[in-house]
Amino acid sequence: MLAALAWRNLWRRPQRTLLSLLSVAIVSGLLVFILSFQDGVYGQMKETTLRIFDGYAQLQAPGFADDPTLDRAIVQPEQLAHEAEGVPGVTVAAPRVNGFAILANGPRSYAAIVVGVDPASEARISSIASTIQEGRYLTASDTNSAILGDLLAKNLGVGVGGKVTMLGSARDGSVAADVLQVAGIYHSGVPELDRTILEMPFARAQDTFQMQDAANTIALSGPSLSSVDHALPVLEALARRTGVSVRDWQDMEPAMRDVIDLKYATSMLFYASLVLVVAFIILNTLLMSVLERTREFGMLLALGMRPSQIGTMVWTELLALALIGCAIGVAIGGGVTLWLQSTGILFPIDPKLLAQFGVPSRLYPSLSLFSALAGPGALVLAIAIGGLVPFLRVLRLTPALAMRGA
Amino acid sequence: MRAAYAIVPLTCAIAASAGAASAPNADAILQRAFDNYRAKSSVTTVAMTIHRPTWERRLSVRAWTQGMDDALVRFTAPAADAGNATLKLGTDTWVYNPKLNQVIKLPASMLSQSWMGSDFSYNDLAKSDDLITEYTHRLIATDQTGGHTVWTIEADPKPGAPVVWGKVVLKIRDDNVFVEETFYDQDMKPARQMTADKIGLLAGRAYPVMMTMHPLDEPNQWTRIETDDGRFDVSVPGYFFTLSNLQNPRS
Repeated sequence: MLAALAWRNLWRRPQRTLLSLLSVAIVSGLLVFILSFQDGVYGQMKETTLRIFDGYAQLQAPGFADDPTLDRAIVQPEQLAHEAEGVPGVTVAAPRVNGFAILANGPRSYAAIVVGVDPASEARISSIASTIQEGRYLTASDTNSAILGDLLAKNLGVGVGGKVTMLGSARDGSVAADVLQVAGIYHSGVPELDRTILEMPFARAQDTFQMQDAANTIALSGPSLSSVDHALPVLEALARRTGVSVRDWQDMEPAMRDVIDLKYATSMLFYASLVLVVAFIILNTLLMSVLERTREFGMLLALGMRPSQIGTMVWTELLALALIGCAIGVAIGGGVTLWLQSTGILFPIDPKLLAQFGVPSRLYPSLSLFSALAGPGALVLAIAIGGLVPFLRVLRLTPALAMRGA
Repeated sequence: MRAAYAIVPLTCAIAASAGAASAPNADAILQRAFDNYRAKSSVTTVAMTIHRPTWERRLSVRAWTQGMDDALVRFTAPAADAGNATLKLGTDTWVYNPKLNQVIKLPASMLSQSWMGSDFSYNDLAKSDDLITEYTHRLIATDQTGGHTVWTIEADPKPGAPVVWGKVVLKIRDDNVFVEETFYDQDMKPARQMTADKIGLLAGRAYPVMMTMHPLDEPNQWTRIETDDGRFDVSVPGYFFTLSNLQNPRS
């Protein structure tokens, strides 16, 4: 009965109610979109960055993260990679040999990270293969070919077809020396990579660095970062069983994780103030209406209604307002978000500038249960808690005073 | 640094008198120890043992030095490493690899890397006299051990000195032999330690003929240097310390 009464009360002042509904709907719709957009952008940023070289996760020899020496090796890496590919959510696993060497071309020499890769699976994990500017990426039939970053190539003064001399330490401490022919030059856009990483065929790297039947890391990828993230528990179990360790994206890119956490934290402040402001507007409106209706409440009290019933009625009006407004907001905000999620939002900013931050120029929001409900949920909660103020006020009413409008 | 003269006894240009220890002055003690260890020139044969948790290697080395700055180190065994050589001229370092038949100049960024897989870095070779020129020295203890006086000297980097260590603590015997040397990192935690395991006579001088370098954060890892044969103050032909001799040894 109270609910019916509350509902009828709401529509006694349709204009006021509609305005309140509108503000709740707009804000909750906005929150749905912004949160989804933020999730989407950060998700893309993470995926783009991780796809350049790291992969969505890695299996590594224990201790390799802190002390990346050849000695920290995974034995029979192909078998482990095959098992990792069998984990649901992981579609490709690529073993790598990670050596450190001096690269030289005539009198020029630079320190570099030499990575032995399997071209076919590597191309499915790392976008380096697709950023080849000159020449071509490695192929399965390559033996003494290598690809290197444009900055490294420039430093060494070497072009496609040129030869690079490599000198480093092998796993057993002996000298690892080789001469490689440059097959391609890539430009990942990340200077640290373009300046330091040379990729060479896996088998030859194993040979040169005395890493027979061994690798240092296995890079993993899947349809999306979240699919690999979901596979982490299974990967952990696999790692424990085989004596290796798993590194997820947060572990590999702690700086990116920190930046994203910081941005979430600061935007949360903004969302919270938005929610608070709207909650106060709605409460203010309701408090006004409660004051206006003091005589009416006195009448109801005189008719035998208990103050708590009246309070509940007022609170129900408020809650109905909040819930309906939020539902409209979620529907509209979610709809718009879904639509933009399929078309993407093109930003008229220089793509090169965005690429520096690992952000493509077309951005896609990502609607999830969390992004759809977190903002509106917080708004409903704030209004419901704030609604206790008019509720308590109604409890203090006495019939005689209220009828006189005091 | 110490590591360097362990392998390459570089000559000190300022040849201070290697007389008997008299006044315990830290600078003088250190200088005398250096002079005993390095001469105007030297030719030594050294065996280097690199120990790792999973493997151990033994390399044979022949080293020539001239003056303070020039050194040539040539690996003679095992077969896989024989022929590899390192040449240091002033502050520049080149390596020669016989498989590639090429001389490669080391970029500065590589100088902190391990030298031939050992616990010594190229920097240890290249900046051998840092300890005298870039540090101030202070005698902090005098002990008597086995009939010898042993001085403990703390070397602190001069302000702004381009060195990696927070401080170095050296123990030097009264016959001018380095007994122990501890390198502290910038947090003043001991990072690595070199000890003289055997002191003998080499070409008539008291000499740490067996020394071991221990990185203190890696318990089961060390590099040992044994000097089998040495000649000091001999004349080494000038062509020895050239890139062409590095690639095509004339001797």
